[in-house]
Amino acid sequence: MTNKVLLKGNIAIAKAALESGCSCYFGYPITPQSEIGEFLSSEMPKRGLGYVCAESEIAAINMALGGTATGTKVLVSSSSCAVALMQEALSYAASDELPIVLVNVMRAGPGQGYIYPSQGDYNQAVTGGGNGDYHTIVLSPASVQECADFTQKAFYLAQKYRNPVILLVDGLLGQMAEGVEINTNPYQEIDNSSWRLDGNKDRTSRKIHSLEPNETALNKHIVEMHKKYRYIEENEVQCEEYMLDDADIILTAFGSLSRHAKAVCNYYREQGVKMGVFRPITLYPFPKKRLSELSLQAKQIIDIEMNMGQMLKDVQLSVLSNAQISFVGKPVGSWLKKEEIINIIDNIIKGGVNAGI
Amino acid sequence: MQVFNVPKSIKKDCTFTFCAGCDHGVAIKLVAQVIDELNIQDRTLAIASSGCSVLLYNVLDVDCIESPHGRGCAVATGAKRAFSANGKDNIVFTYQGDGDFASIGLAESMHSALRGEKITAICINNTNYGMTGGQMGPTSVLNQVTTTSPMGRNEQYHGFPIKTAEQIALCDGTCFSARVALYDYKNIINAKSAIKKAFEYQIKGLGFSFVEILSSCPTNWKLSPQDSHTRIKEELSKIYPVKVFKEK
Repeated sequence: MTNKVLLKGNIAIAKAALESGCSCYFGYPITPQSEIGEFLSSEMPKRGLGYVCAESEIAAINMALGGTATGTKVLVSSSSCAVALMQEALSYAASDELPIVLVNVMRAGPGQGYIYPSQGDYNQAVTGGGNGDYHTIVLSPASVQECADFTQKAFYLAQKYRNPVILLVDGLLGQMAEGVEINTNPYQEIDNSSWRLDGNKDRTSRKIHSLEPNETALNKHIVEMHKKYRYIEENEVQCEEYMLDDADIILTAFGSLSRHAKAVCNYYREQGVKMGVFRPITLYPFPKKRLSELSLQAKQIIDIEMNMGQMLKDVQLSVLSNAQISFVGKPVGSWLKKEEIINIIDNIIKGGVNAGI
Repeated sequence: MQVFNVPKSIKKDCTFTFCAGCDHGVAIKLVAQVIDELNIQDRTLAIASSGCSVLLYNVLDVDCIESPHGRGCAVATGAKRAFSANGKDNIVFTYQGDGDFASIGLAESMHSALRGEKITAICINNTNYGMTGGQMGPTSVLNQVTTTSPMGRNEQYHGFPIKTAEQIALCDGTCFSARVALYDYKNIINAKSAIKKAFEYQIKGLGFSFVEILSSCPTNWKLSPQDSHTRIKEELSKIYPVKVFKEK
């Protein structure tokens, strides 16, 4: 007997955040993530917790800076073009080492774009959309269950590493309902008493800042941040491997599109083609090492994305063999269907490269 | 014999790095004295901003976080809501310049006032962008010569300055809004009493409390400290009246 319920991805995220001990939510409405704020606007006050429908996304993410600085778990959610507005404060949060959890339920861009689904924010999330030399941890769910589970993981990783974590969610998943179980938070609480700002009662006063006029100190701070990133790269990489043991052809895909990739893979397996799917779950840190190993046995790597090839660059950087790398993608709209992908891959297998959409 | 001490809430052996004659030092001393008198040093969080006012965190001996430029009141909102969610009654205040509070951060400032956030904001109004070298700010007065209004601020060309304390007083969530000055002893005493009231209003949980402090910037005004204070007394306080605009 499970406690499975039918929920939209957005609601699953909100419920999982509460289960993780999130005490404050700050946000501003934008489709396709509005249900997160709507749900929490009734839940937070009931529990005596903090909810502010902020005047802008800029204000919302800055409220998260203040909230997390006190040692409190804070959730912020938004979408693509509005996440762009938050990049300044995310850069501060990375330098200040504040554990903000930001959910980006992606819509299509650039600019206003539209509310069509897209995976166009891979670069924004993974390479850091703000100024300076920093990284945010990026988790990519492929199902509503993972929306919930990765929200809990996001809070854990954010606290553990004192680093902003982005949950990069396909608009499709935010809006799609699936059976999901909101589990009791499986992660241990991280003690933040050594850095939080809650009053200098039994200690000297603390300051959290990114401004550093001393060149040596600023260099040291950034080098220390990057030591942390190296440690995260060594310890927190997560990926899913599907039928890869003997695969000549590896499909790479992230998020919910990886489910289409699996369906494509099943089709080719029935035809006797040795195909498998490699799905990065942590987009930063990217599972570079594992993909490098797998690429040694592969003849073909075919990257499938709902954008014009943003993860493709990470795939290319990871592949150390002579395997041929091709790309199948489309920037926005209905997810590439199994049949569409198969048509293009048939072409690629026959010898065409980068057959495109 | 009266012995004058450095307030307890000023860090021991710290160095004030403000320009000679700048009023920031006096303003921070008053904030520190108020924190001492209200006995809230161990539960106060200061939000420092961008510009000269960020230097607060080098001298004030309370927990402090630096805010991105203009977002002080949003950072303060988040911190205060987080304390409240955890059942804590910590005091949160921002210390911002006029460019920070009333130009780039006007939306965050005014909406915090409209929501009646139980925080205190202190805005140093020196009628220019001080740290970057004296450019025209939202509060530069008409005819004021700055590095970006070399012929003087012209209402047709540059538009009008903002009267911040009056604007904040118009917000329903504001419980206290005042403008003070520091050019003589009497004004300094009044300024301290306004700052104290602003913190007391927060402690009582009555809403958003605000103090605008007319301050000198001798370096960028290219005036002596004495002439800078004369300018505040004879010119600025006629445009920016020193008074309490709202007290709930």
